Amino acid sequence: MTLLRSFRRCAALLGLAAGLMAAGSSHAVPSYARQTGQDCVACHVGGFGPQLTPFGVKFKMGGYTDTDGQSGKVPLSGMVVGSFTHTGKDQAEAPAPGSRLNDNRTLDEASLFIAGKLADQLGSFMQITYDGVGKSSSLDQMDLRFAHATDIGGKDLILGATLNNNPGVQDPFNTLPVWSFPYAGSPLGFGGVETGTLINGGLEQHVLGLTGYAFYDNSWYAELGAYRGLSRTAQERMSLGTADDPGRVAGNTAYWRLAWFQDLKRQAWSAGVFGFNAGIQPDRLSGGPTNRYHDLGVDAQYQFLGTRDHIFTVQGSHIWERQSRDAMLAAGEASHAGGYLRETKLNASYNWLQTWGFSVGRFLTTGDSDATLYSANAHNKPNTQGTTFQADWTPWGKEGSWLAPWANLRLGAQYTAYSEYNGAARNYDGSGRKASDNNTLFLFAWTSF
Amino acid sequence: MLALAAMLPTARAAGDMAVGGKLYAENCAECHSVKEGRNKKGPSLFGSFQRKAAALPDFAYSDALKASGIAWTQEQLDAYLTLPKKAVPGGKMKFDGLPDAKERADLIAYLSTIK
Repeated sequence: MTLLRSFRRCAALLGLAAGLMAAGSSHAVPSYARQTGQDCVACHVGGFGPQLTPFGVKFKMGGYTDTDGQSGKVPLSGMVVGSFTHTGKDQAEAPAPGSRLNDNRTLDEASLFIAGKLADQLGSFMQITYDGVGKSSSLDQMDLRFAHATDIGGKDLILGATLNNNPGVQDPFNTLPVWSFPYAGSPLGFGGVETGTLINGGLEQHVLGLTGYAFYDNSWYAELGAYRGLSRTAQERMSLGTADDPGRVAGNTAYWRLAWFQDLKRQAWSAGVFGFNAGIQPDRLSGGPTNRYHDLGVDAQYQFLGTRDHIFTVQGSHIWERQSRDAMLAAGEASHAGGYLRETKLNASYNWLQTWGFSVGRFLTTGDSDATLYSANAHNKPNTQGTTFQADWTPWGKEGSWLAPWANLRLGAQYTAYSEYNGAARNYDGSGRKASDNNTLFLFAWTSF
Repeated sequence: MLALAAMLPTARAAGDMAVGGKLYAENCAECHSVKEGRNKKGPSLFGSFQRKAAALPDFAYSDALKASGIAWTQEQLDAYLTLPKKAVPGGKMKFDGLPDAKERADLIAYLSTIK
C-alpha cells in the first residue's frame, strides 16, 4: 500500500480530510483576464492565483461575470503543473505506483477550466483535471454561481448563490483551508498534516452544495447553505472512484460564514467566523451508526498593498472540530466516542514588483489521544507541526507582459520542515522515522493559459 | 498676447504630480492604463485630461457617461473622483471615490501629465 493510499484509507476511515498531503495546485486562470481586460495582478497578489487582492475578492463575489464590455470572450483556460520532490529521507514505500522512494519528477496535473461569464449574472469556475500521479481524470473544483448587484438605501448589495462541490471552495478570502497557503503542494512528498478537519478537504468533490450569500456595503459578507453527498454511482460516473468514498453524508449538513471586509486601496483586511456540520455514515446502510463532525473556525487576514511594488500579507485561521465517533466506535476503529481536533495556520508573504514572492507558513494540528483511531501514531495522537517556506518567480501577468493575457507562469521552490509528525519529533511510526525525515523540498513549474 | 494666453485653459493641473502618481498606482492602475490605446476594464487614461468624456472609439462606455456631455477638466475630474456614482449616475466605474481634496488635486495633477 502506498503512502498516498495509506493516507487515503486513513482519511476515509476517519472521515477526515486528506487534502494537504495529496495537495494539488490551486488555480489561476487567464480566461478571467481576457474577459475583464485586467492583468493577472489586478486579482492576484503576485500576479498568480489563487491569493486574491480586494479586486479579486469582489470579482469572485460578483459571480465571475465582470467584463470589459467587449464581446467574443471564451471562458476556457488550461493549466499544467510539473514538479520535483525530494524528502529528507527515503520513504518506506514508493508514494505512488511507478514512483521512486525519493527524488521524483512528475507531471502533477493538467487541467481544463470552464471559467468565466456564462450569462449576464451567471459565471463559473469549473476544473477538470488529469492527475499525472494517479493517471486519471475527473471533475476537480467546481463553483457555479449566480450574482445580482443592487443597493439598499444607497449601499451596495450583492446577492448570490453558488453550486459547488467542496465546502469552502466558494469562499472569497484566502483563509479557509481550500485556498490557503501553500497554494501548490507535492503529490509525492509531505506538505502539511496527515489528519485534518472535515472542512479541510475531507469531502471535496464527493458532495454537492448550494449556498446563498450577501455582501453588503462592501463590508459585510454572510453565507449559508447545505451539502449533500454523491451516491457511489454518481462518484463512479464522475471518475472519482469509490476508494475515497467518505460514506453517506447524512442530513443536517450546514455551512455558514460571516466576515467583515475592508478595502482601503492601500491596504485591506478581513476577519470572520465559519462553521460546517456534517454526519457521515461510512457503511451507507440505513439506520447504521453515524460519525458526526462539528467544525467551527475563526480567520483573519491583512494586506498592505500600497503602490503594489511591495505587498505584505498576513493570514491566520484556527479551526476546532468536535467529533462524535459512533460509527467508528461500533466498527472498533476508535476507543473513544468523542474527541477534538484543532488546526492552526499562520502565513505571511512579501511580494516585490509583483514578480518575486517570499512566503512562510506555520501549521499546527493537535488532537485528543485515541489508542485505536491513532494507533499508528506516537502517543496515539495526530499532532503535527511545521513550517513551510516558499520563494517564487512570476515573470508575466503584469501590464505589457509577454503573452498577456494568454499565458502566465510561476516557478517556485518550497521547503516544508517538520518539528513534529503524527505525535512525535522522533520515532513517530515505531520504526525509527523522525519528523524531520519528512522534510520536503518541492520545486515546481506552474503555467496557465 | 500674454493676456490671451492667461485666459486659455491650463494644460497641466495644480498639485503634486509625484504624490499623484503614487495615488494613481494605489487607486487606479488595476483598472486603467496610462499607455495610449491600452484599455483594461477601464479606458486608457492617456491624454484624458481636458478631453471629452467617453471619447475613445474602441472602449465600451456606459450610456450614462456617453450622455453626460462632460469634459475632464480639473473641476469635472474633481467632482467625478469625489464620488463617481453621484457625478455620473448609472456609470460603470466601481470606485468609491477619493474624499480628500488634496489627494484629488495631486491625482489630477498626475493625470494632466499623461499625454
